[in-house]
Amino acid sequence: MPLLDITDLTKSYAHAEGVTPVLDRVGFSLKAGESAALRGESGSGKSTLLHLIAGLDEADSGVIHFDGQAIQSLNEQERAKLRRDRLSLVFQQFHLISTLPVLDNIRFQAALCGRYDEMFEQELLGKLGLQDQLHKYPHQLSGGQQQRVAIARALLHKPALVLADEPTGNLDEQSSLQVMSLFKDLVQQAGSALLMVTHSREMANYLDHQWWLQHHTLSLLSASDD
Amino acid sequence: MTELRWTLRALLSHYWRHPWQALFLLSGLVAGVALWSAVQVINAHAKASYEQADSLLGAQREYTIYPKQGTSIKQASYIKLRRQGFTEIFPVIEARVETQQGMLLSIIATDLFALPTESGSTGVAVAGDNRAWLDFIQPPYQAWIPEALANQLDLIQGQQLLLKNGDLLPPTVIRSDAQQGWQILLDIGAAQALLSRDTLDYLAVGPVDDERRQALEEALPASLSLVKNQQALNLTQLTDSLHTNLSAMSLLSFAVGLFIVFNAVRFSLWYRQQTVKNLRLMGVGLNTLAVALLLEALLWSVIAASAGLLAGYAISLKLLPTLGSMMDGLYGAKMSSELLLKPTTVFIAWAMTLIGLLFALSLPMWQVSKQSVIHGSQLSSKWRQDKVSRKQLGILSVMLGLAAALLYPFIDSVLMGFVLLGLILFSAAWLLPYLLASGLAAVSKVTPKQRPLLRWMISDGWAQLPTLRTAMMALLLALTCNFGVETLIGSFRTSFTDWLSQRLTADIYLREQRPEIAALIAEGKSTGWLSDTHARMEMSTYWQNRPADLRGLVPTAPDTQTLPLAKAIPQAMQLWNESDHSEPWILANEQVHYLAGIPLGGSITLDTVNGPQVFKVAGFFYDYGNARYQFYLPRQMLLKHWPQARDSGIALWVNHLAEGEKNTSMSMAEKAMLKAGFAPGDWITQSRLRAVAMDIFERTFTITLAMNTLTLIVAGLALLTSLMAILQERLPQFAGWSALGVNRWEQLMVILIPLLLFVTISWLLAVSLGALLSWLLIHKLNVMSFGWSMPMLWQATPALALAVLCLSLVLFSVAVTHWRLRSQLPKALAQLGSTG
Repeated sequence: MPLLDITDLTKSYAHAEGVTPVLDRVGFSLKAGESAALRGESGSGKSTLLHLIAGLDEADSGVIHFDGQAIQSLNEQERAKLRRDRLSLVFQQFHLISTLPVLDNIRFQAALCGRYDEMFEQELLGKLGLQDQLHKYPHQLSGGQQQRVAIARALLHKPALVLADEPTGNLDEQSSLQVMSLFKDLVQQAGSALLMVTHSREMANYLDHQWWLQHHTLSLLSASDD
Repeated sequence: MTELRWTLRALLSHYWRHPWQALFLLSGLVAGVALWSAVQVINAHAKASYEQADSLLGAQREYTIYPKQGTSIKQASYIKLRRQGFTEIFPVIEARVETQQGMLLSIIATDLFALPTESGSTGVAVAGDNRAWLDFIQPPYQAWIPEALANQLDLIQGQQLLLKNGDLLPPTVIRSDAQQGWQILLDIGAAQALLSRDTLDYLAVGPVDDERRQALEEALPASLSLVKNQQALNLTQLTDSLHTNLSAMSLLSFAVGLFIVFNAVRFSLWYRQQTVKNLRLMGVGLNTLAVALLLEALLWSVIAASAGLLAGYAISLKLLPTLGSMMDGLYGAKMSSELLLKPTTVFIAWAMTLIGLLFALSLPMWQVSKQSVIHGSQLSSKWRQDKVSRKQLGILSVMLGLAAALLYPFIDSVLMGFVLLGLILFSAAWLLPYLLASGLAAVSKVTPKQRPLLRWMISDGWAQLPTLRTAMMALLLALTCNFGVETLIGSFRTSFTDWLSQRLTADIYLREQRPEIAALIAEGKSTGWLSDTHARMEMSTYWQNRPADLRGLVPTAPDTQTLPLAKAIPQAMQLWNESDHSEPWILANEQVHYLAGIPLGGSITLDTVNGPQVFKVAGFFYDYGNARYQFYLPRQMLLKHWPQARDSGIALWVNHLAEGEKNTSMSMAEKAMLKAGFAPGDWITQSRLRAVAMDIFERTFTITLAMNTLTLIVAGLALLTSLMAILQERLPQFAGWSALGVNRWEQLMVILIPLLLFVTISWLLAVSLGALLSWLLIHKLNVMSFGWSMPMLWQATPALALAVLCLSLVLFSVAVTHWRLRSQLPKALAQLGSTG
């Protein structure tokens, strides 16, 4: 059974000028431990798809099954629990809690779901090079360092699925490749599946599958498509 | 629990990193609680004082023995009663003395050994060593002075207070007996020596049963009468309106505080919206978030209530002497000098803070819960939200305005009056955002297109409006109340001064009529310094269960003929002077009209010695500063119905035409009075009486003015907080403008110009609303509270003073903004475009 199974997902936004379609009967699936990149032009609906999977937004129609459970059937509280316990989100803007030091930021979600693993934390900190930054506040770190903190926070509780939205979008090319390589390894080590929105073909090549979102529909890319 | 703990930690860490915001939030809460609790403490204290303070020397007594004629009782009459075995009675002298600094002090004197022995029946702490008692009752005697009063007079233990007439009080003994209030306790012998008299004012009667009372009544000589005491009950009734007024003022301060708290809470959530968003992204549920915010509110409420109560206690300590002397001057009510903070006041203050905080939190929390996690809150969406909420507030404002209009015809109590004021004030406050937006739109429209910089500065007001509007509402309320109350006090002061000029026409007022007066008058007439006299009589009674005074006036006396009447039937004075009616005409003070609802020409029934007698009201006279009902009758009429009426002093008009080069008529009069055997304390001059009256008047409004000023300071703080919030929120924008070449002065103009526009609109609305408020206070609430009517006198000075104050506030705020900008902009500039 796939970890994530999406069928006929449709989403549009209504506004004063009319209705803008974003996703039209989109469907795909992802098994546990697999990784996939979601590519597409700007405004094609990649982030919307990620938000729908995380239960942050409501689809017009279609079904998202996570580990056999339809996300649409969950109420706000249950969705919050799902995000806390089974998912992790990594964003281009890091979304760290600016008023807490690095160590508290990293432990935050693990503390929330009660799955704190000290050994794994040490491993993450070592691999991400954050040992000397633990008592600093986010604003005292560079963008690359902040993203590493966000990655550590996302993985420490070993989620079933990591949803990443342009996680290296704020970094320079060299830092991006370093972070991406680490990210992929650590996701694997955590045993998580990864669905990552990216513009970059190079980044996408790190992952098992690539999906292309165009004209509101999704298609699987083969290696020759690029 | 872990989830809640971490959520709370993340939320509270914000204040740790931004202590200024914590300080602003706390200051709004503390200010609101402090002002409210100060008045609560005073009100609770006053009520407790009424119940116990007058129990000093047995004012809780059931009966009092008064002289039927004159104002004093012979000591021999008292001794005779005691010898007859009536040990329940004890002598009392009450007098006022004046210090060198012109402060009037109340003196109460008794014979401690004559006090009934039942504990608590007299209120004097009788326990203690006998030595203290002996020192009190033996020359040189002792003056037992309450600690607070001693502090006020800078008196130390053993010091003798010098009075204006050169006399000295006995050596001071500082006492901390709360029941003593602000009165100085003397032995009866000491008081008689000080006041150069050998008589008593009245005899108080301790607890007696019916049989004993009857025996006492039978034993009384014909010159004395036993009167049932109802004072304690009446003090509560009399002062009720004043306390309602004070409570309303304190609630208003609390409301202004609430606006500020609402502002602060809004900002604290606004600043933390990224944190809230992150928490929700990480799976913190709305319920956990709500519980965490509630716990945060609880924490703030405990801190703020504690600090606010402390501050409120300090304020009430500061206001207590003023209130004490005001209550004494206005109602004769004695308040104790020691303030007690009751557990119920503490609990209510905390509960109100918490409710206020929850109220302030509810809307922002609802907005947070509705806010999309993914779309966040962009500035543009904030503006859109502001437009929607402006509309909602506008609708609410109209509804409140309509409710006020519907309520207006039905106001029949002080409480209802304050509800109406509340409706009007909140209606105006909620209309303000709409008016600010309209003002901004209108100014934008007329700004010349050739001035792009100015157009930009004005248009920036749209970005500031959502953040500033709550502070503007708080400022509007504070300005309105300040202007309204200033106009009320100004109108009252003018009316009161005019009225004093009309009422106090005599030059000298002798406090009591003595046999020597006839010789004095004869001497005055023969030497020419005396032009006229007015010997009045008085009688205390009860009418409609409240204390009432009857005054017997000589119809031909100068001040009777010029008596200013607020309302009168045609030829009122002529009819009043005719005594051959079965229902004689009477003059009543305005309180009878407004508080008891008696119309002109209406009937009142008074208990006379011949049974109930109906009088018809020929006119109502102004009687500012009097909380009791008062009736004027021709002197002969008073004596006919109440032969036991007492002399109440005599007014003397000095003939200024008789003044020589060296001797003024006043000095001739004073010499004559001294020669006739009167002591300086036996008379009071017109100027002194006027000064005392004005002093009481000013004290009456000291608290109101103090509360108003504090409220204004709190509102100013709200404005400053909002500007700081704008600065914090928009720092990257300022940095961006700097990068584009906008200089510091132009950046300040961006803040200053919209702010000036908003404050001007708020001031204009406050002045018009304040005029309406003062009209309601003068013509409705004042009349309902005290029964005093007066014309409303609008003056430009308070409005201009507030304009200057607003301008100073704006300039101060901009100066602080400038300082913050200088310190923070370099950092913001360094972060421009930085991705790490």
